[in-house]
Amino acid sequence: MANRIINWIDHRFPLTSFVKHELTGYPTPRNLSYLWNFGFLAGIVLMLQVLTGLFLAMHYKPDAAIAFDSIQHIMRDVNYGWLLRFMHSTGASAFFLVIYIHMARTLYYGSYRAPRELMWWTGQGLLLLLMATAFMGYLLPWGQMSFWGATVITNLFRATPFIGDQVVVWLRGDYSVGDDTLTRFFALHYLFPFLIIGAVVIHLVALHTVRSSNPSGIDLADKDNIPFHPYYTSKDFFGLGVFLIAYFIVVFFFPHSMLEPANNIPANPLITPDHIVPEWYFLPFYAILRSVPNMVGGVVAMGLSVMIFAFMPFLDRSRIPGGGRYRPVYRMLFFIFMLDILVLGYVGFVPPTSQTIAIGQVATIYYFGSFALLPFISKAEDNWLFKRGLPPKILALIASEEKEKTKRRQR
Amino acid sequence: MAEYEELDDTGRRDFLLKVTSVVGGAGAAAASLPFIASMNPSAELLAKANTEVDLSGIPEGGMHTVAWQGKPVFILHRTPEEIKAMKATNGGLQPEQDSDRVKKPQWLVVIGVCTHMGCVPNKEGPGWTCHCHGSQYDDSGRVIRGPAPNNLEVPPYRFIAENKIMIGQA
Amino acid sequence: MNKFIAACTLCCTIVLPASAAETKLENFQADTSVVAVERGVDTFMNACHGCHSLKYVHYRDLASLGIDKDRITVWRGDSTLDSAMTSLLSDEAAIQSFGKVPPDLSMMVRAREGGNSYIYSYLTGYYLTPDGKTSNHFFPLTKMPDALEISSATDPVKRSELQEKAHDIVSFLSWASDPHEAERKALGYYVIGYLIILTVLLYNVKLQVWSRLKV
Repeated sequence: MANRIINWIDHRFPLTSFVKHELTGYPTPRNLSYLWNFGFLAGIVLMLQVLTGLFLAMHYKPDAAIAFDSIQHIMRDVNYGWLLRFMHSTGASAFFLVIYIHMARTLYYGSYRAPRELMWWTGQGLLLLLMATAFMGYLLPWGQMSFWGATVITNLFRATPFIGDQVVVWLRGDYSVGDDTLTRFFALHYLFPFLIIGAVVIHLVALHTVRSSNPSGIDLADKDNIPFHPYYTSKDFFGLGVFLIAYFIVVFFFPHSMLEPANNIPANPLITPDHIVPEWYFLPFYAILRSVPNMVGGVVAMGLSVMIFAFMPFLDRSRIPGGGRYRPVYRMLFFIFMLDILVLGYVGFVPPTSQTIAIGQVATIYYFGSFALLPFISKAEDNWLFKRGLPPKILALIASEEKEKTKRRQR
Repeated sequence: MAEYEELDDTGRRDFLLKVTSVVGGAGAAAASLPFIASMNPSAELLAKANTEVDLSGIPEGGMHTVAWQGKPVFILHRTPEEIKAMKATNGGLQPEQDSDRVKKPQWLVVIGVCTHMGCVPNKEGPGWTCHCHGSQYDDSGRVIRGPAPNNLEVPPYRFIAENKIMIGQA
Repeated sequence: MNKFIAACTLCCTIVLPASAAETKLENFQADTSVVAVERGVDTFMNACHGCHSLKYVHYRDLASLGIDKDRITVWRGDSTLDSAMTSLLSDEAAIQSFGKVPPDLSMMVRAREGGNSYIYSYLTGYYLTPDGKTSNHFFPLTKMPDALEISSATDPVKRSELQEKAHDIVSFLSWASDPHEAERKALGYYVIGYLIILTVLLYNVKLQVWSRLKV
């Protein structure tokens, strides 16, 4: 009976062939490590956020006079409202954690290189959409930190040449962050996740065109690919189980760890909290913003610090695939870069003193320096590695890539 | 793609898969419950689901309208003559004994919403008249002239003291 | 080498925040059982409610927790069961007496760094200055008077009595800021337990599926 229904559909819609080609039968390298689980996890967290967000939106009021009250109503009176709220606030942090690990995996293994540049760039777009969504969502509880965080960050748009002041007022809908800002941020916060879903679809179409990279850096022979189902479906679900345990431990036992104390105080436009801090996932960029003494310079630096990742396919001039796997200097650069981000995060968190500002400036210089010097370092490392000798498979791959490039140039 | 061998022991493989699917499915079903529950009325509305009414202010022959769950409720303090008149008949279009509709004969508690299309009837002389389409109810809230099909609904209520009722709890 | 660097990076994330926190606060464990919260409400109504409101806590919430309705009737006086625990002190009168409106306490334990420990330390942190005025170790600029009169209590028995009172108040405020805490943790044990079982099953499915792969 089920078969007859499926046949009826198949005559009118490529259901079975799509599922076979793109899901169950889709060839995937057999050697993917658990670091390759994080794309799937990101998709799951996206669904979790949309679901909890939708049910929260049934009770939340985007009006400055009653927004804070509506959150209390959700936490106290709505059945399981507290659970919805904690899942959503923890989910936002979980989303960024998963995405940052996903990005780190891509950077380490050089998965941003040709022919996967579009995957990297659609990913970059997804990161920007996610950051915007999170920023707007944070205003909604209308706490002290919500209000003042939004005030500080919308103020940055003053750096826009010539029309800076007007841009800020236009963004806010008012001369200062107020009810108009809140209502429009709610509308946009509701919309953006669906833009993210659309961008994810594009991201996946790109993936299915170029296929997954793998830890060895070498494109595996056909015989070394395995069908996505049941191998990676089973592995992804197991990874999901592990993730859910960690996630729900936070939701049920440490939910307040994700909530700033100051945000439990209703927004007061007349009193600024002692210590304005963004959520942890924005801290490194916040530190870079504060490292530059000039306002416009700070904004440019912060924007660049997010966008500069997009240039990686061009900055990395090594011919050797696999990222840090066969390139010890790149590997070292990568790990120190990770450490640098942690330092920046710390600097962004603590109240600024002359020491922390100095540390922040050094860390910022290292941050941009890693990218700026990468073309030279990668080339120099290449020369050294070729002299030292590389595994034959790598040499073969590089040779075939060179052939491809010359063929394309001749066309 | 790589070949994979079929295990001899497909029985055990299937069993593990079945158990996992059942456990996972049960979890997913259980996980949906908080979401569905969140759509039910929240605590402060449930609190308003029960309304306490002090009857001592209503004189004999008088009527009081209170709000309960957003609807009007008529509380009629019936005189002995009215009670006798109501006991004498079974009503009109939907026969029902008066004693089935009250807990104490001098107190009639009915939801003041016409069973035709939902308008609020007016107290006029004996019983109520609905001015939307002309339905009439007697002093027991029973419909004696249409187009309303049913008697006025008696909400769940109980006496919590001599002169106090709690509407919402039978 | 890579593992070493990764381990160092991980350790830094743990060590740095830990050393950043220095506190002289007393470590405080809230007791949010019904009995303790009931004592807390009683103390609160006597010592605090004159000035402080709890706009997000309703008297019916106390009933849902399990406190006897008759006690609640005494506490709420003329206010209905449905209403919030607002103080009768008007804003104007407050500003005249103290210079500012006493803050609402519904979320106070969450709104301060240090949470319960801070509020408890603050309440018991009043002392007498050399010129006879009261001040507070933890918030010197406070406009709130010494509600428990602990600054003038030198007798250790009296002091510990007042500390008990403060303990009850903070336990109540802790419950007030998060009334669903007990339910949340109870549910949490079940959910994590279930997830562990499910994950073990999923792990075994994964192993079994992958064992089919010819090496």
